[in-house]
Amino acid sequence: MIDWKELEAKSFYGASARERARGIVDEGTFTELAGPADRMSSPHLPVLGEAVEWDDGCVTGVGLIGKHPVFVISQEGRFIGGAVGEVHGAKMVGTFVLARQMYERIKEEYPDELAERLPAVVISFETGGVRLHEANAGLLAHAEVMDQIQETKGKFPVISLIGSKVGCFGGMGFVAAATDVIVMSDLGRLGLTGPEVIEQEMGKDEFDSADRSLVYRTTGGKHKYIMRDANYLVEDTLGDFHDQLAAIMEAPYDEIVKCRRIGSEELVDEQLALAELSVEMAPKDARDVWAYFGNEDVEQIPEMTTAEFLAVAQRR
Amino acid sequence: MALRELNFTFTPEDPRPFPVGWSHRGVVGSGDMEVMFEQRDLGGDVQIKVCTPVVGFDEVWERVLDRFVRESQVSDAVIEINDNNATPVVVSMRMRQAIEEARKEAE
Repeated sequence: MIDWKELEAKSFYGASARERARGIVDEGTFTELAGPADRMSSPHLPVLGEAVEWDDGCVTGVGLIGKHPVFVISQEGRFIGGAVGEVHGAKMVGTFVLARQMYERIKEEYPDELAERLPAVVISFETGGVRLHEANAGLLAHAEVMDQIQETKGKFPVISLIGSKVGCFGGMGFVAAATDVIVMSDLGRLGLTGPEVIEQEMGKDEFDSADRSLVYRTTGGKHKYIMRDANYLVEDTLGDFHDQLAAIMEAPYDEIVKCRRIGSEELVDEQLALAELSVEMAPKDARDVWAYFGNEDVEQIPEMTTAEFLAVAQRR
Repeated sequence: MALRELNFTFTPEDPRPFPVGWSHRGVVGSGDMEVMFEQRDLGGDVQIKVCTPVVGFDEVWERVLDRFVRESQVSDAVIEINDNNATPVVVSMRMRQAIEEARKEAE
């Protein structure tokens, strides 16, 4: 076990799902639920001759940030690209159910302290979406998680953390977009269709997935921050993500949910206006969009450190 | 082809019982593995179960694990491995890390 200081200084990008789960809540407060000892591995992979993992690539549990019980879902990209299968998805759903039970209990037992004890669900995404080996169950899991997110509305926040190697793509890109808040690092990537899939379907001229700079300009944290798809951009350490979470949880629920991208008529209008703008503008590159929103030295943006970028970034 | 299960039992000469209730290490990435040690009274033996997609390397597994048991003298434990094409070097390293950390934890 590495010590707390070392863990907090660790790169979020390189951290395992379990390290992230421990490091984003307060020191020593994380308890893993349905962990490896419970051996909830996939029932579908063995018949296909695919290696299994006892946590099915999804670390779930509960910790504290201040007095807030924080229910954590943390995906492991090294296990089948963090893809969501039946057990993985069921663990995600189960975590939401526990969070809701906790919310009801706090409301009953501490009616005057609900604000300071408000629970949250935090998802550390590292996934390409559905696990193709168990595709129907994986798709169903996506729908169920979406359903669970709707159930939290008006109660407690759901917060996405995106900064791991695989990024957050496929159906889980939709799921992240449906949460209340998205926190990313410069190295985080968020999208629906992943770079390789776009290239495969539309050709290299449309999107060269080997061009890392292009991939990051289009799906990376800085771009998502400018577009307000990401609400906060933080440095790539577990400690920075932890601090940002703590800052978010200090705000009242009504303030937190102002970060949402969807879920009201105004927001739908806003997104449709953006779609119209993209047709009008017909941008050739993300840099055109950055310039449109008032960023000056767009060539330099990818080179900037997070701090330099945050000091000058002009957002939508 | 379905996943395969290999089972081994070893008897270390100078048994050192596994010191904590259970211990888990590793991620089943490509070319990697996870391992779970569980304390169990086996009268000085150690049981190892390997779950692997690899065919034709049963003898290599036996040699690698036998060597691990001889070097660590770990006993009275059930050890389970979920393997995803880990090489013998990786297997040896992960096993050593796991037992060292468990022994450190017990101190």
